[in-house]
Amino acid sequence: MRDISMILKSVWKSLFVFSAISVIAVSTVNAQDAKEGRTLFRAKCSSCHALDAKLVGPALTGVTDRHSEEFLLKWIPNSQALIASGNPEAVKLFNDNGKVAMTSFPELDEAKVKDILAYIQEGEPKPAAGTEGAAGASAKDEGTSGLSIAGIVAIVAIAIVILVILGRASKLLERLILQKQGIEIEEDVPLKVGIRKMFKNKKFVMFFILCLIIALGSFGWMGMWNTGVHTGYQPVQPIKFSHELHAGINQIDCQYCHNGAFKSKNATIPSLNVCMNCHKAVQARDKYDGEISPEIKKIYNALGYDPETQKYDESKSKPMEWVRVHNLPDFAYFNHSQHVVVAEDAIRKAKGLQPNEPVCFACHGPVNTMEEIYQYSPLTMKWCINCHKETDISGQKNNAFYAKVIEAHEKIKKGEKITPALLGGLECGKCHY
Amino acid sequence: MESNKKYWKGLEEYNNTPDFVKNNKNEFAEPLPIEDVLNEAGLSTVTPRRDFLKALGFGLGAVTLAACQTAPIHKSIPYLVKPEEVTPGIPNYYTSSFNGQSILVKTREGRPIKIEPNPNAGEFNCGTDARAQASVLDLYDVSKLKAPVLKNEETTWTKLDGFVKTELAKAQASGKKIRLVASTVNSPSTNAVIAQFVAKYPAAKLVQYDAVSYTGIIQANQNSFGKAVLPKYNFDKADLIVSFGADFLGTWISGEEFTAQYTANRNYKSLASKKMSRHIQFESGMSLTGTNADTRVPVKLSEEGPALIALYNAITGQSLPGGTLGNNTTADKVIKLAAKELAQNKGKGLVVCGSNDVSTQILVNAINAAIGSYGTTIDLDNPCYLYAGNDAEFNGLVAEMSRGEVGAVLFLNSNPAYDYLDVKKFEAALKNVPAKISFADRADETASLCDAIAINHNYLESWGDANAYEGYYSIVQPTINPVFNSRQAEESMLIWADAPVKNYYQFVRSNWEAKMLPALGLKWNDILEKGVVSSAPKPAAAYSFTQSLAQVATSIVSSSKALAKEVELQVYENIPMRDGKNANNAFLQELPDPVSKVTWDNYVALAPKYAEKLKIKEFDVVTVKGTNGYSIDLPVLIQPGQAQGTASIALGYGRTKVGKAGNDVGKNAFPFVSFVNGTMQYASSVTITPTGGYYELAQTQTHHSFEGRAVIKEATFKEFLKDPAAGNEKGEHKDYDLWDQYEKPGNNWVMAIDLNACTGCGSCVVACNVENNIPVVGRDEVRRRREMHWIRIDRYYSYETKDGDVTKEKEIAKLEDLDHVSVVHQPMLCQHCDHAPCETVCPVLATVHSSDGLNQMAYNRCVGTRYCANNCPYKVRRFNWFNYWNDSRFDNYLNNEFTQLVLNPDVTTRSRGVMEKCSMCIQRIQAGKLAAKLQKRPLKDGDIKMACQEACSANAIVFGDANDPNSEVSKALRSERIYYVLEEINVKPGIGYMTKIRNTDPSVQA
Repeated sequence: MRDISMILKSVWKSLFVFSAISVIAVSTVNAQDAKEGRTLFRAKCSSCHALDAKLVGPALTGVTDRHSEEFLLKWIPNSQALIASGNPEAVKLFNDNGKVAMTSFPELDEAKVKDILAYIQEGEPKPAAGTEGAAGASAKDEGTSGLSIAGIVAIVAIAIVILVILGRASKLLERLILQKQGIEIEEDVPLKVGIRKMFKNKKFVMFFILCLIIALGSFGWMGMWNTGVHTGYQPVQPIKFSHELHAGINQIDCQYCHNGAFKSKNATIPSLNVCMNCHKAVQARDKYDGEISPEIKKIYNALGYDPETQKYDESKSKPMEWVRVHNLPDFAYFNHSQHVVVAEDAIRKAKGLQPNEPVCFACHGPVNTMEEIYQYSPLTMKWCINCHKETDISGQKNNAFYAKVIEAHEKIKKGEKITPALLGGLECGKCHY
Repeated sequence: MESNKKYWKGLEEYNNTPDFVKNNKNEFAEPLPIEDVLNEAGLSTVTPRRDFLKALGFGLGAVTLAACQTAPIHKSIPYLVKPEEVTPGIPNYYTSSFNGQSILVKTREGRPIKIEPNPNAGEFNCGTDARAQASVLDLYDVSKLKAPVLKNEETTWTKLDGFVKTELAKAQASGKKIRLVASTVNSPSTNAVIAQFVAKYPAAKLVQYDAVSYTGIIQANQNSFGKAVLPKYNFDKADLIVSFGADFLGTWISGEEFTAQYTANRNYKSLASKKMSRHIQFESGMSLTGTNADTRVPVKLSEEGPALIALYNAITGQSLPGGTLGNNTTADKVIKLAAKELAQNKGKGLVVCGSNDVSTQILVNAINAAIGSYGTTIDLDNPCYLYAGNDAEFNGLVAEMSRGEVGAVLFLNSNPAYDYLDVKKFEAALKNVPAKISFADRADETASLCDAIAINHNYLESWGDANAYEGYYSIVQPTINPVFNSRQAEESMLIWADAPVKNYYQFVRSNWEAKMLPALGLKWNDILEKGVVSSAPKPAAAYSFTQSLAQVATSIVSSSKALAKEVELQVYENIPMRDGKNANNAFLQELPDPVSKVTWDNYVALAPKYAEKLKIKEFDVVTVKGTNGYSIDLPVLIQPGQAQGTASIALGYGRTKVGKAGNDVGKNAFPFVSFVNGTMQYASSVTITPTGGYYELAQTQTHHSFEGRAVIKEATFKEFLKDPAAGNEKGEHKDYDLWDQYEKPGNNWVMAIDLNACTGCGSCVVACNVENNIPVVGRDEVRRRREMHWIRIDRYYSYETKDGDVTKEKEIAKLEDLDHVSVVHQPMLCQHCDHAPCETVCPVLATVHSSDGLNQMAYNRCVGTRYCANNCPYKVRRFNWFNYWNDSRFDNYLNNEFTQLVLNPDVTTRSRGVMEKCSMCIQRIQAGKLAAKLQKRPLKDGDIKMACQEACSANAIVFGDANDPNSEVSKALRSERIYYVLEEINVKPGIGYMTKIRNTDPSVQA
């Protein structure tokens, strides 16, 4: 039954998004590309290029006007080859920029380069209320903020008003045409009387009540099912820590900070001394006019660290109170190491993760694109159980612990898929004690 | 052959009192008042409808509000700088010592939460006792002082140091004495600190004072062999053990160690090689050791001395005067037989005596020398340093204090204002001391009379070491930062002595690095890791006894005569409370006494027949008045096996300033101790008069009755030798099976419990409490039969009936046999039945079976119908009547922000209205499996240990995988002695019990 609510939900959502998109219908066709391009740009290019400032390489705004797309598609993946081939435009560019060789990016295919170019063309996205909200909602599944809902409602309302006005206008025109043609028309029944008449129509009333019941029922049903489910939960954290920057752009391994996940039940929030390994040096002064980034300063303050003298004063330190995003009830026991170490291969296979993606993505979603972390999976018992029912763990044979257990099962279930459920993974005591 | 023994748990069951019959029908003592509600008056009133609407309205509102709730804000606060060795979610283990016994302390995120025995301790790795298990709770005790105290006001350490230094200097200058009163100090480092302290203040001296003293044995050894020590006893080398009132399996010297030695000769492995020691116990009160004896003979306290003389005479053929036992013919007969066997088994016998009388112990030495115990079962060359208190010295100190000769006195781990025999005299004497300083962690009876309280660390916050036996050292290391603003006593002394090294960690370390470690070729970190070092024991020499015993015998006879008046009272340590130092520990207060199963109180134990003679019924309050005029009012407990004309009262109760949980629990019995012939004597004569009052003791013994079904099987050793399956005959019954059979393809977790090894000490109960977050419910709730223990130890009394048929009339006519009851202890916990009757009746499937043989309980599914408990034939399910961990009514015990730190984070705390029971430590099973998975290796036998199993000194509990034919438990379960409780109802329990075997001699059948 849960599925129905999900379907209803997605229908609602897509309706909203569709109407919003159809109404604005502007040049946001490339939006997805530019967004992708932005990520790529920040990962690959930003160490040498900025849009509006010359860093190691030239400022890139307007690069598509200066060079043809054809040229850029060749230059960006492998500029050295292009220069070596004697392309005059390439040689000129090389010489103009102090003969500093640009790194080759063989991994960037045509589509990716086009994405980057789209981003350069469009520039840094401006925070416009309506479009930003709609894009956010579609990207984040549940991230519909109050603002974006209001935006959508306003757009829909405007659309309805326009439709009504247009309808009235066309009716008026039609009548004028008919009048011109000399055809008599009956006087319009007054609206009030019409509605009253409509409500005397039993069929209509029946239909109306049915609709009401279905609407309220589905609303209630959804509400009930989602009580306590916090998919998309994104509390305000004491530090605006960006997983997109750290895990995505800087490609820091999950384990570097969450080292508990690979040996303990807790993934653990890193202690601040882990942050200091980098942030003693990395202070992002370039973005804040030579000042230390206010977010990084929060780390220093919590530790009682003085960046000038580079000394710690323990008496000034105070705890960093993060807000827990992924909350399981107290009576449910979950162990990270069981999943990310013992069952890593099975989970990767079941969730179709790429080799370069950490196994954490299976439940925590694309953390490398989350500006601020939010709850990606519903964390409901059904969600756990489904995975335990469906995941094929026959590969665990390589683990000597399972060898005996699986052997016993294979005697019973010849050739059939082995899931955690078969090994008792659905028993209450596995998670509740 | 069906046994014709009848077992009963308590006299009310034995006599089938109407109350017992009534209560027994109900799993829960107090039914819900359904009938009151449903009767006509209830329905016709207006309130139900209104209440219904109110409830409906409120419920609707609450549900709406709950549904509106967005997301919970749970703070997650990481370390600022995480210690390298800590990983949240993974326990760390540190070696330490508790009362000289090496232990492992399990910590989670820096909080000690469990005590486990140290496997490195070798010979001394013998489980842990209930006190050690419960000791983690003392760390978080809110009744402790949170800062040092000066003149009854909280102060800073600087101010306190200033005050104490001035006072000590004054005392030193005045030429008066400075005395440090401490329980036995066996720590080399503490002794070195005291030496520095004495160097600074030459008037200072250490006076060792033990609340329960062993001075008698120490002085007797000095007298007999010129060695003032407690010997090392080797019960494992003794084939015949004769004990006179020594509770060596419980409270005497080192109970856990002796239990391990004792059961090594009696457990299933020993029996498999057809070997079993014999144990004869003469005692007046029923002790834990007495309940385990093969033959137990009740003797009056005044008969103990004559009995020893008689034994000596019988062994050596001499004729010391006074060896007559009057009309106690059984004792006489057993002594003759014991003498014969001891003489036959030279070098393999052991005689011990619980008396603290020097003369009596000299006589015991003479007997042991005569039977060649020295060098085999008694080792005087590797002595025990657990007790070194000197009664006369402390008595002398009190006299010095009252004469005003003492300028300053310091109390370290001692509390004479509670446990001295004459508190008034002590308090008056203390008033004459100008400077009084206590190292107590709370304002206890003595500390509250002191000028300054330099609050000491708990042992889990301390550095230190211990030297329990010659050549055996263990380390104490802190496992948490101090919870309160306390400072270790040794460090305080170093500061007051202006020592060059004031940091006690530095002091201990340099002391070890200078004195101990180089000789052993070890580094400091090695000893921290191992926890113990032991050098090869010295060869135990044989000692001969050459002195004349004439004077000894005279002394024994005259004290025996002095005792033989009115009622002979024995004050004794019981297992939960011991000397009362841990009286504020709620886990210990609620641990049922192993024999009487009484919690939260002490009582006067009287024999059934004797009580009848005095016209006293059970729970009648009586006044007990000693010869020194001290009197207390206590309820009476009818104790089968108690010697006629004697009474027993447990020490350690009646604390007044120990804390919320322990204050005014029971009455103080220390004033009944007398100082005779230079030592503390624990026997005295008293008068008992009923007050007419009635006080119901919170007893757990008959709460979960089997209603007379046979749950115990036993045989004698002789029968066992003939047929290992003796006593384990399967009755004729047909099995009907309503259940489907399921395979257990992975593991099949089962347990075997050896009834011959289990002594009933109860340390498993406390270990289970701590491991599984089991709440303490308090005296009133225990009276309502609501104790929450997942494992209980059922204690059954029985006696042999000569003729087969047992009818009620005949039993009552034989009431005198209640003196000679024999006892069986049976640990009872969830049996994890394959055909569990609880599972079939649960309407919400909250209790279900797993594929590895466990009966699982999903608390969050349980709706509290309690059908399962009603349907459990073993009565092992417990219902949560309250949110014990979060209900202000239980603040005294566990519900406060400090004691909640003791909770095991891997186990849910159950809420009100939920059923619970033994989970077979499923968190340990899961953790053990995960460890194997992460290392990609198969699970080994012994990887997973239950909390109860780990704590057991006797190794009576074996846990493991029945699917592995080579596992310890599979081997144990193949024993012919294995039977399953209530096998005939075919619930297929997962826990096998091994028959109780008694090494009795038919000729002395008591």
